[in-house]
Amino acid sequence: MVRVVELSSELSGKKIFERISLEIPRGKITAVMGPSGTGKTTLLRHMTGQLHGVSGKVWVDGLDVAALERKQLYALRERIGFLFQNSALLTDYSVFENVAFPLRQHTRLPEILIRNLVLLKLQAVGLRGAAQLLPSELSGGMARRVALARAIVFDPMLILYDEPFVGLDPIALNQVLKLIRTLNRELGITSILVAHEFAAVRQVADWVHLIAEGRCVASGTPQQLAHADSPWAAQFFGGKIDGPVPFQYPASALDEALGFVGPSS
Amino acid sequence: MKRLNKHSAIVDACYEIGATGWFLVVLLVAIPRSLRYLRETIRQIWFVGAKSLIIIMISGLFVGMVLSLQLYYTLSIFGGTSALGTVVALSLYRELGPVVTALLFAGRAGTSITAEIGLMRATDQLSAMELMAVDPIAFVATPRFLAGLISMPLLVAVFNMMGLFGGHLVGVNWLGIDNGTFWSNMTSNVNVWTDVINGEWKAFVFGAAISLIAVFQGYNAPPTSEGVANATTRTVVWASIVILALDFVMTAFLM
Ligand SMILES: Nc1ncnc2c1ncn2[C@@H]1O[C@H](COP(=O)(O)OP(=O)(O)OP(=O)(O)O)[C@@H](O)[C@H]1O
Ligand SMILES: [Mg+2]
Repeated sequence: MVRVVELSSELSGKKIFERISLEIPRGKITAVMGPSGTGKTTLLRHMTGQLHGVSGKVWVDGLDVAALERKQLYALRERIGFLFQNSALLTDYSVFENVAFPLRQHTRLPEILIRNLVLLKLQAVGLRGAAQLLPSELSGGMARRVALARAIVFDPMLILYDEPFVGLDPIALNQVLKLIRTLNRELGITSILVAHEFAAVRQVADWVHLIAEGRCVASGTPQQLAHADSPWAAQFFGGKIDGPVPFQYPASALDEALGFVGPSS
Repeated sequence: MKRLNKHSAIVDACYEIGATGWFLVVLLVAIPRSLRYLRETIRQIWFVGAKSLIIIMISGLFVGMVLSLQLYYTLSIFGGTSALGTVVALSLYRELGPVVTALLFAGRAGTSITAEIGLMRATDQLSAMELMAVDPIAFVATPRFLAGLISMPLLVAVFNMMGLFGGHLVGVNWLGIDNGTFWSNMTSNVNVWTDVINGEWKAFVFGAAISLIAVFQGYNAPPTSEGVANATTRTVVWASIVILALDFVMTAFLM
């Protein structure tokens, strides 16, 4: 469904990806994991054509995303659901109107049908009662669930979830996991899941890509990765601080920055 | 928009003027696409235009009253106070109506447009729209631009009406000019085309300039609190300068 081929990319001069290649199979749930700040969100933005790489290609459903004209790109986006890392609800619309927004923009469905569709999706994320609230009246976890409902309201062919589990209590987490699984198993929606919670990911993901330092350093089923001997996977899933995956954003040596050792000594 | 420190202020200003001009082209091209969002345009006319009515009406009333007092004094030097209705009306229609309304509009509506769009950018709402295959230029920017364009001439008409009412209040009810003289002098000396309609032309152009600047500044504001705050300030500064400059140019060539 999605094929990233030798993609290199820069954001304001900073190299994010260095000839990264990976494949997202159709009809499966694929998780993309990696340390914070490696570019998982950036990778998703490449898939939706918001960013273009310096070199390399991104294919989505057989289309070269970077080469599409606006009309075609928008037609493609109509078939993609996107869950933002920071929810990004439209602040001057109610919860109901937020979820209804894609339907109203792209279909001419009768009002009663829109109403039912929206209420069903809100029911699925447990927020039907909150339909008339404004986004400013929601908690962080509720806003994420509304954003999730909005991302799936169209039953798209592909859903990109950027950290869907953040801020969810255990009950809501299970509910969302079930939802992601149902959407995939029953409607065959291909799903890409960016998340840090390996325990949650291994319950739903068919395949996991681990990216770090601009490359895809390990791929496999969750079971394989949990027991892999690759130092990347072992460190990341073990949660150790020392190892090939850096915890620190690139910087000068700490003692130097704190002034204990002069650069000359 | 990248603002580098090594640029001088003049280069910056030129860059901004050029970018704003280009943004106008983008907006105009997007008008056909934004026709499907007619409801959004109407909603914006409500926010931008209708909600400015109170401040416009009150200001118009006071401007008319002051105008009447001041001109009465000036006219009394020449013994021509019977012309009060004419001069109040001409000042309002040709000059003060469009300019004062535009300055108020920039402060009341322009700033809120800039802040709103800037915050939408900062909270990723514009990206969210793009990802839902809704073009934010057509859905957010153009409706606000059109709303300003449509609202300004109407607001100016209201301002003028209130101004005349205030002028009448002071001139006739307080200073004791004859009601009939006030009106007949005015109606025989004010020309619909050169005075009223040309004033409305000004209003239209000012409306376009204000909403263009407001939308542009909001759309290109850096996605931070400081960025949005600065953009709002720039909207007022730029809009005020542009209004007064355009006013001079249009008065010189049109009227
Ligand atoms: N607009 C930008 N300009 C410059 N650099 C950026 C920009 N946006 C992101 N970056 C950099 O790109 C890198 C990747 O960012 P990205 O948001 O994709 O990380 P992420 O993997 O999603 O992290 P997280 O797990 O914390 O969400 C970061 O190191 C960040 O500093
Ligand atoms: Mg991210």
